[in-house]
Amino acid sequence: MKSKSLKRVLAVAMAATMTVGIVGCGNKTTEEAAADKAAESSDAEESADAEGTEESAAATDLSYADFEVGVDGVDLETTISFFNNRTDLDSDEYGGVNWKEYIAEFNKMYPGITVEVLTDTNYADSSLTHLQSGDYETVMMIPDAIDRADLSNYFISYGDYDTMSAEINYANRWLYEDQVYGVPSTATTRGIVYNKKVFEAAGITTLPATPADFMAALQAIKDNTDAIPLYTNYAAGWTMSAWDDYIGVTATGDIQYMNQKLVHTQDPFKNYGDDTHAYAVYKILYDAVAGGLTEEDYTTTDWEGCKSMINNGEIGCIVLGSWAYPQMEAGGPNAADIGYMPFPITVGGRQYATSGADYCYGINVNASDEEKLAGMAFVKWMTEQSGFTYNECGLPVVAGSSETKLAFDGVILQADEAALEGEEDFLNAVNSESELMVTAGGDTKIQKIIEHAANGDKSFDDIMAEWNQAWTDAQEVNGIEVTE
Amino acid sequence: MEAKKESFNLIKWAKSRKGQKVLICLAFTAIPLLLLLVFTYIPFGEMVKFSFYKMKYSTPVEKRVFVGLKNYIDVFQREDCFGALKLSLFYMAGSLIQLALALYLATILSFKVKGGNFFKGLMFFPYLISGIAIGFIFKFFYTRGFVLDTILQWIGFELENLPYWLKDQSVNNWSLVATSVWRYFGQNMVLFIGAIMSVDAELYEAAELDGANKFQQFIHIILPSIRTIVTLNAILSITGALSAFEQPYVITNGANGTGTYFVVMNEIAHVSQKVGLACAMAIVLLLIIFACTILQKLFFKFVFRDADSEDESYAAKKAKRKAEKEAKKNMKKGVA
Repeated sequence: MKSKSLKRVLAVAMAATMTVGIVGCGNKTTEEAAADKAAESSDAEESADAEGTEESAAATDLSYADFEVGVDGVDLETTISFFNNRTDLDSDEYGGVNWKEYIAEFNKMYPGITVEVLTDTNYADSSLTHLQSGDYETVMMIPDAIDRADLSNYFISYGDYDTMSAEINYANRWLYEDQVYGVPSTATTRGIVYNKKVFEAAGITTLPATPADFMAALQAIKDNTDAIPLYTNYAAGWTMSAWDDYIGVTATGDIQYMNQKLVHTQDPFKNYGDDTHAYAVYKILYDAVAGGLTEEDYTTTDWEGCKSMINNGEIGCIVLGSWAYPQMEAGGPNAADIGYMPFPITVGGRQYATSGADYCYGINVNASDEEKLAGMAFVKWMTEQSGFTYNECGLPVVAGSSETKLAFDGVILQADEAALEGEEDFLNAVNSESELMVTAGGDTKIQKIIEHAANGDKSFDDIMAEWNQAWTDAQEVNGIEVTE
Repeated sequence: MEAKKESFNLIKWAKSRKGQKVLICLAFTAIPLLLLLVFTYIPFGEMVKFSFYKMKYSTPVEKRVFVGLKNYIDVFQREDCFGALKLSLFYMAGSLIQLALALYLATILSFKVKGGNFFKGLMFFPYLISGIAIGFIFKFFYTRGFVLDTILQWIGFELENLPYWLKDQSVNNWSLVATSVWRYFGQNMVLFIGAIMSVDAELYEAAELDGANKFQQFIHIILPSIRTIVTLNAILSITGALSAFEQPYVITNGANGTGTYFVVMNEIAHVSQKVGLACAMAIVLLLIIFACTILQKLFFKFVFRDADSEDESYAAKKAKRKAEKEAKKNMKKGVA
């Protein structure tokens, strides 16, 4: 009995001392221990390999322009991962071409490259977390909240601006120090998705072009049909910050406004008195809610549900980018009823619409050379050969191409100019400091417009005055010159 | 030469029974301590450090700006930070209701009840559902004309007289608190039942012989016997109320006046990317929770003061102490 228990103690002691050894001696022993275990060793070697090639990878230059799809890297044997926001393309039931089909098509040209697609509904936040962890995917959509100055820490450059703008449109989306870090997956414009039948039934013959006309149209829908005139999609959150996209070219007709002038503007949210600028954009929302022209209970709106609702004529219109157009068409049997109209703001007798890059592909700068090459093959193939942009009703990304399903007649489509050199991070800085996060996920502030409008506890001018104050304070803190 | 001798001794020592004992103790404490250090204290230290900086998540280390106590001053000056703590009062009120309900049901269920186990299971069940699922369930539950409104209409309410459960800012926080109570009271109840089970059944018999009714039995036997678990549950519920997050986050996204301190903190950290400020908020909340816990401890010490001694009541002890003091005084006088 006694000897048996002594043996047991000894056995435990041996195990314990060995553990102490491993913990105490640090890396070297751990590596050795890992090497002993066959299952783990391959992983360890892989990660060691990845680390080893990191330094040499920095030296090689991959160029988007020089890469020939279908010629370069066709015999590559590797696995890359691709992280993006399009969860709907994961589903086999998706109305258009889904990820599986794209990847299968890609593998016809590049049979050796395995692409693992990861998607996330909360992409804007999750992608930052992935980047922050340092262990992120080979190809991913560059998150909006990244500072341009940090781009080179995370992604490879596709080439300089001049070379890239000969290849693609919107090359300035992720431009820093003349290097282009992002290739747009697709390009979109900003307008309003509406149901043609509902508009017809309400007696609206010409599409409204000014805020006053738009309000009258919403009122007509309320009076003459059972449909909800304007669906806010309040509960989803991100659908709210979509309103920010209209304050640039759409509301001003000025391609420098969004990225160059806004940060320097004194009180950008003030009333300009001519139904233009940010004030007019947000006022449409406030007035619609205050006038009871939106859904009854905004807190329980349902994003997925709204697609079939608008398709079946239960909703008059929704303010969303053109990317949402195909999704609304696919939401039910009445694809032909869905239309896309310009935002009802007229600047100097003309209507404008922003056209801009959607999420852009970025290639992991810390990946191995092979993976980077495979990533490049994938990005260029997606851009030039996949038809992704066309299928998703986007505006063309490939320079000089005019392939698009989107007919947006009588509207001047313009892309925002990039921020001035040396001022790339100004907008992010002011956004973060003021917490308004204009065009950078500032859902809360727009939700508050709806809340105040519904409860009638704060006037629209007061809200705008608050925003102006926050903007001015943020400009001061960041030492940004106020010119206008 | 000397080193060799020393290492020889070390091995010998390690092989001795005493050495083995020490080694085992070290080995078994080292691993958990290491894990605790790496995954709790070092990150916490980092957070404290972050709270003195102005930085985003993606800001490289060398570009982070040291701002001293500015973040802490901001926490106290901003309306949304401390305003959000007021919402905790809703959740605290909810947690009191939750504890009372749990205690009541636990007491009933710990006596012989038909289908007792079935009811226990039924009431514990919500705790097992994932928070996200609960978010979806209650979004539909509270939607105009859906579950809750339908049930209330069955029992005679008119739809026009019912509020919008999530839209109306005077009721929406109560709606969320109700969800929280629904989810957690079962767990409290099960803990209480466990504690009540351990009460000696003979005490009830004796009490009955003395003519005590059920309520008196509860006040004088059950409650004092399970005071530790009551205290624990109360502390957990109140601190939980201060850091309420899940319900508002999944059901309303913290919008429409339901943004609790945690939701605001999350927004500041992850949307506005003011990591320093958010860390400062976290530390301020930690201090508030410390303060609340200490206050609660003192409170319960006071409430259960009778239960601290086996056979004499607080009043009797007080009288005794007073008598002792008097005696001492008299003695002093006598000496003087």
